[in-house]
This record gives sequence, structure tokens and C-alpha cells, in this order.
Amino acid sequence: MIERIKDLREFITNKKHHAYRKTLEEVGLQDISQEFKDSNLPIVRRAALGLSMMLEKEQAVILPGEKIVCTRTVSQVPSLFTAEEWKQITSNHYIHEHGMVCNISPDYAYTIKNGFKARKKEISDKLKDKTLNKEQTDFLDAALTCIDAVQKFIEKYEQYALSVGETDTAKTLHNIKTDGAKNFREALQLLRVLHFAIWAAGNYHNTLGRFDQYMYPYYSADIQNGVLTKEEAFDLLEEFFLTCNKDSDLYPGMQQGDNGQSMVLGGRSINGEYLFNDLSCMCLQASFELQLIDPKINIRVDKNTPDEIYTLGSRLTRIGLGFPQYCNDDIVIPGLIRKGYTKEDAYNYVVAACWEFIIPGVAMDIPNIDALSLAACVKSVINQLNSCKNYQEFYQLVEKEMSHQIDMICEKHKHLYMVPAPMMSLLMDGTIENAKDISEGSKYNNYGIHGTGLATAADSLAAIKKYYFDENKVSYDVWVCALEDNFAKEKDLQKMLRTEAPKMGFDDDYVDFIAKDLLNSFDKILDGRKNERGGIYRAGTGTAMYYIFHAETLGATPDGRSAEEKIPANYSPSLFIKQKGPMSVIKSFTKADLKNVINGGPLTLEFDQSIFRNEESVEKLGMLVKTYITLGGHQLQLNTVCKEKLLDAKKHPENYKNLIVRVWGWSGYFVELDECYQNHVINRIEFGL
Amino acid sequence: MKQGIIFEIEEFAINDGPGIRTAIFLKGCPLHCAWCHNPEGISPNPQYMDKKNGKEICGYTISSDELSQKILRNKEIFKLNHGGVTISGGEPMYQSDFLQEVLHQIKGEVHAAIETSGFTSHEIFKNVVSMLDLVLFDVKQTNPELHKKYTGVSNQPILDNLNYLCHEADKDFIIRVPLIPGVNDTEENMLTLLDLIKDAKRLVRIELLRYNKMAGAKYPMIGQNYNPPFDPTIEPHIYNVFEKNNIKTLIL
Repeated sequence: MIERIKDLREFITNKKHHAYRKTLEEVGLQDISQEFKDSNLPIVRRAALGLSMMLEKEQAVILPGEKIVCTRTVSQVPSLFTAEEWKQITSNHYIHEHGMVCNISPDYAYTIKNGFKARKKEISDKLKDKTLNKEQTDFLDAALTCIDAVQKFIEKYEQYALSVGETDTAKTLHNIKTDGAKNFREALQLLRVLHFAIWAAGNYHNTLGRFDQYMYPYYSADIQNGVLTKEEAFDLLEEFFLTCNKDSDLYPGMQQGDNGQSMVLGGRSINGEYLFNDLSCMCLQASFELQLIDPKINIRVDKNTPDEIYTLGSRLTRIGLGFPQYCNDDIVIPGLIRKGYTKEDAYNYVVAACWEFIIPGVAMDIPNIDALSLAACVKSVINQLNSCKNYQEFYQLVEKEMSHQIDMICEKHKHLYMVPAPMMSLLMDGTIENAKDISEGSKYNNYGIHGTGLATAADSLAAIKKYYFDENKVSYDVWVCALEDNFAKEKDLQKMLRTEAPKMGFDDDYVDFIAKDLLNSFDKILDGRKNERGGIYRAGTGTAMYYIFHAETLGATPDGRSAEEKIPANYSPSLFIKQKGPMSVIKSFTKADLKNVINGGPLTLEFDQSIFRNEESVEKLGMLVKTYITLGGHQLQLNTVCKEKLLDAKKHPENYKNLIVRVWGWSGYFVELDECYQNHVINRIEFGL
Repeated sequence: MKQGIIFEIEEFAINDGPGIRTAIFLKGCPLHCAWCHNPEGISPNPQYMDKKNGKEICGYTISSDELSQKILRNKEIFKLNHGGVTISGGEPMYQSDFLQEVLHQIKGEVHAAIETSGFTSHEIFKNVVSMLDLVLFDVKQTNPELHKKYTGVSNQPILDNLNYLCHEADKDFIIRVPLIPGVNDTEENMLTLLDLIKDAKRLVRIELLRYNKMAGAKYPMIGQNYNPPFDPTIEPHIYNVFEKNNIKTLIL
């Protein structure tokens, strides 16, 4: 890392740029919703005007040494609706999270290549179409307003750069104002502007997609033409990574750090060529040096991925950022095709905010619309155990319950309302052509349902199968009472269930095949269902924050888990079991047909930092990843943590302000997490002590 | 079929031979090294340990068949990541009949290594080595008196077996030296060792393992005190006389 970047990193991590920030009140934008209402503006125009007003109030700021500019100075995004209006909308609509377009992968590449002028021309041409209705012209006008607003914003920065003698920066800004990028620096600056603009428009979980693919042409041309040396290109890349950490505390999320700035590297092309390039490699190196939580790195791999790539990834894992996360093309691509994605789109997949597989530019999927509590589906039919002649009958009851829960989930999401997003629409394919805002849908409009507590559910079913049906060891009354009173009078039973019953993670087919059944049932139950936007439903192994919510209402479970205990996050073994080791876990978790749960959700493995003593041990961690991928795992995320350090950080947060941990699908600063998440991280299993 | 007593199976052993290995710890050791960090491996019998969550039994009986089956179950995975199994302890040769049965059953199927002090009869050593792919051989002290003083036993059988490995066995091996401050981290000890191993054809490398400062952690759990007869707080000297004699050296 060169001094300039070091200083900039220091400046940003010390939050010195926060001094420029102003509130909506300070810039006079606190009441624009009332003005909007009074002028009776259609919402899509409000969205464009809101962005326009916000960017107008943005102050041009260049941090010391900066070459890639844009820093947020207005700390909030103004609301487009008055409180009453929003209340009215929510009273008869389903609102996903904040109601904004989020968690999709914009197609930055098109605008970076062709510039705003191309989009502008498309819009003007389209506006000549006499068959357009008012809604369509409103949308197109709004899109034009957004372009104008962003161009004015760039102009403001350009003038400011000139005024402070930053002529190179001014020139870069000048060039990207209307035209596409001609070199790596311009491409990064334009990407920064586009990314900045969608955040400023109130959209969130704005992912970065296949950065190493869409940026590579600019990088390689500059290297070839001698415009940049590799070192200079690397410095710019590091600076771009820094920009992702400047305003991220202003981005909406469940917790600080949950901001969805995912980046996907590598992968195989439709022709079978492996796409990991120089730039991909540099991204890993930049992240390794900067040691910051954004962007969050994902690597697309498959069973033929060269070992060096796993080693590079593992070097990053070792420093404890909680990424890279690995996705297996061999499983994900056929899984997406199976769910109706075209082959071309499937090969282009990326990761949404956490782990959900989505397609850049063409998918308005909502991959985290809801979650099914698999453990609750088992728990809630336990009272009917005595009506079942055998395990199969009991399992059918569980399936029926899953189906019932899914019915309710699907019903719940009807009349979805999403706030129009003309700025985001500019970065999505087909919106201008169809004169349709992205909030109204795209080529893919699929919903993803997480499945929480898989291990708890499978372990519970295994315990019932073994001790009730196979061995007749625990009677119906005992099961029901023990679960009702949280094992208060059945401590021995609870101990047996916890220590002797089959558990996922031990490479035991008895329970692992039950997990496989559960996932297949989950997929089968969703199969054929259509959502109101014409999309399908996808089953997943992720949990998002639902692992916290679902555990709270679950009560005691037949696997021996007490009511007050948590359930695992994502696709992981139960928390209280003593693991045999990562190999058994990997074997257990690769027996299911993971192509069927293509909404995603990684297996998480945690390692004590101390076991990685040298380069050789880092390579071996890479081999472990490769093993999971070769055995057919879909997604893997590894953490290196030190439990003692986390415990101490709880006591003395002031000493650990930079301690990074992985939470569920994202990494965050440990000391900034709510205590329940801190405790969960501490309680997770840990190998290698 | 022999029964053995083991006290741990570690699935992700990455510092005990090539690739990702499963390390199996056999209970019982004839040595009593003053710096031993696995004191629960010394007694040949199962014993209780006081752990954070209460008493836990350490050590259990397993048949050679069952253990071999457990190992063979992951045969393909070992191949995939260039790993195998490393039998450790305690001193694995201490349960030599059991050990030989296990090795016999997995021979040729799984890359097999052993981590040994070398303290066993020459006959057993030769037979065990013949069934292995790699030997991790500890040399703690070349001086007979000092060896006896700090480990409780003579180093004669160890040096004999080392000589066999260096000059006769035709088997890959790694020498491991724990560097104990003030005990064996002397230039003299290193030079004597160098003399013993410098002509060995199949010596893969030497590993110098710095004294583990956590060594005392488990003694209270088995009701013992850790009173090392050396100052555990000082850093051991590293006399790397091996590298310059073209012996690959790894310092951990």
C-alpha cells in the first residue's frame, strides 16, 4: 500500500470526512414530501426530483490525496411520501423491508462503456413513440431527470476540482459526464458516481457484481497502452475499495456492515473458459492490504479451479475478514437453469447482498422475501406423533405443515408495493425499451425463501425416528411433556438427545439423508407456484436474521435443544454439539441435492486463527475449500476467529474498534453489533483449538 | 483383533505431514518430558479431565477394525487433498500390537504417517516403519544424561532407530526438534544432531518447533501441577545449523 492510500485509509477510518455531513434539516430538504404531495406529482417523478434535489444539495468534497471522488455530505435520503401517504400505501400493500428497490445487481457495464449520452438518446428516441401511455412517459421523463441530475452533480465536482487545482480529476470528471469511460481511472470514477447515485436515490444493498469482468477491458487496455503501470492500476483499485467504506454507515441494513456491497470474482464462461484474471487477483490483494469490510468478496469456483486460486482466497480468509465466500459454478449454474433462468444468464450469476444467487441487469428477484422455519414445522406436529404408524407417516405430516406454512407465506406477499426507482432503472436492461420502471419487474421476478433451522429440524427428526419409531425408547407422553416444559423433568433424556442422538455434521447418513429429504421437500413444495409478478419461488439454505427471530418462538426441540438456545445461522450444524471436525461437517453438508436450493446460503466453518502458522497451512485451508466444492457443496464461507479476543472485545470495545467478524451474509465490526449478534458469533462452533 | 485406547481424533491436522490429515492420538507414553503439552496422553488408561463444562472422560477403547474402518471411510477425501492419516500420541509405539494391526489394514489405501519419539524396540520400529509412507521422528536431546534427566528414559533406543531411518530404512522421514529454552536449544545439541542426520537420503526436512507456551494448560485438568525445570518465559535459541548443510528447515 502506498503512502497516499495509507493516509486516505487512515482519514476515512477515523471518520474525518463525517465533518462535511449535513442533515436534511440543515440543507432544507426535510419537508419535500409535503411539496410533492401538494403538487400532485406521480411517484416516479417524485423519485427523480428527490434525487435531483438531494444531489443539488450535495457539496463537492475532495479528501486529501483522492483521485476517485464523491463523498456523501447529505446524511439522509429525503422521503418521497408524507407520513399519511405512506400509511395509506402500507395499509393495502405488502411492503418488502423498506419498500425500496434493493438487493439487485445493476448493470454498470453498459453505462460505463457507452456513457450517459447513450441512455439519453435511447430515452429521447423512445419518447417519440406515440403509443406510450402517461405512466410510461412519466417514467421516461423521470429517467431523463435522473441523468440530468447526475450530470450536474459531476459538473459540480469538476468545477470544484478545477478550483482546487486537481486538474486530472477535473479532466476525468469532464470526460465521463456524457461519454463512456476511456481508461481504467475513468471507469472507476464513473462506477463510483453510478454507485453513489443509486445509494443517494434511497436504493440499498447495491451490489457490485462481476467487477473483475466488466472492469478488465479498461485495465488491460491501460496496461497494454502504457497508460498505467500495474502498480498505478493497483493504487486506483485500492482507492476504489476505500470509497466503498466512506459512506457505508449511512446505508440502510439490519446492522452496521449489512450493506450488500458484494463483489464477485472469477467464474467460468459459457464456453468453459476460466475467467479469473489479473484484476481478480489484484482485488484479493487490495482487500488483503486494506483489511476493511467492504467490498465483500465472493469467488466463483468449480471442481477444476486451479489450486492457486484457493490459496489466494485462503490468504484473505486467514486475516479474519470473514470473506471470501465461495460459490460453486458446478451446482449453482445448473440449479439456476433448472429454475428457468436461461443458460446465458445462469452463467453470468452473481451474489446479492449476502449469498443469494441473482443475475446482473435482468433480475428484479426478491431473494430474501421470507423464511420458512423448518424446525418449527417439525415441532408443531409433534403432538400428532401418536397417530403415526411409522416414521414415513410422521414425515408426511411435517411435509404437510411445510406446505401449509408456505401457503401462508405466499399469501402474505400479495399486493406488493415497491417505490419506483428511475435512477436504478437506468442501470437495468430493458427498462427504457419497455418504458417500465424496474420496481415493476424485469426479466426475472422470482422470490426466494430462506429455510432456517435445517440442522435443528433434521436432528429432531432423526431423534424421533431413532428413539420413538426404531427403538421405542421414548414414549409419546415423554416427548410431548419434555418439549412442553423445556426438559425440566427430563434432564437425562435431554442429555442423551444432545450427546448420543445422530446429528448433522458427524457424517452420519442416518440424519444427513433426513436433511436431504427436508430440502427436497422444501423445493418440491415451492415448485409450480407463481408469485403475482409472474416469477417463481426458490428454496434456500440461508437464514438471514431469521435465525434469531425463529429461535425465539421455537421452544425446546426434539434434538435436545433448550428453548432459550439459538439455532444455527445459514447452512450449519447445530450450535451445541461437539464437532468431530471440518471434514465430517463437509461430508454431512454435501449429501443433499444442493442444486435444488438455489436461493443460496453458505455452510460456515470457523477456525481458530492460531492454527494457520505458515503458508503451507494456508494452502491446506484452500484444499479444504476445494474438497467441499468437489463433493458438491454450493456455497462456503470461512471465518478465522479467536474466541478469547471476542470475549475481551465485549468487555473492552474501545480496544477492538477494527475487529471484523462475519455475521450472517456479511462482515461487520464486532463492537458495533447488537449484543445478541455478538453472542451468536461467540457461540458458534470453532475448530482447531 | 486388538483393542486400543485413543484419546482424540483430529480431522483437520495441517501441521503433521502432507495435505489435510486426520491425526489419531493413542494413549500411553513411556517418556515423561518436562515440557509435554499433552499430559493426558501419558497414562495408558482412560482418565477424567476437568473441563469447562464439567468432568469428561479422556480416552476410550476402540478395536483396530473399527479404527481402520473410520480411517478408510475418508480414503477418497485424503486422496483429493493429498493428505492421509498421522498416528500420534502419547507414544503410538506404546500400543504397538494395536498400531501394527491398524497400519496393516490401511496400508496402501491411505497415506500413513506416524509421529513418534522413536522409543521402542528395534524390531517393532522396523516393522511399523515398513508399513508407513512417512515418519515424523522426534529428537529431543542427543546427550544421554540430559535426555534421561528431562524425559526419564535413555535415548539409546531412539538413537538406534534414528540411525536405522537415516541409513537403512529407505523411507521418507521428517525430524522434529522441540526447542526447549535452556534444555536442548544448544549449539552442541544441534551440531551433534546434524552429524547424525546429514547423510540421510530420505530426510524430507527438519522442523524446529518453538516451545509451546500453552504447554501447562492441561495439567490442572488432570489434577497435576506443571512445574517445568526451565524458564518457560524465555524464547528458545534457534541455531539453524541445518539449512547451511542443505537440509530443508522449517521453524514453527
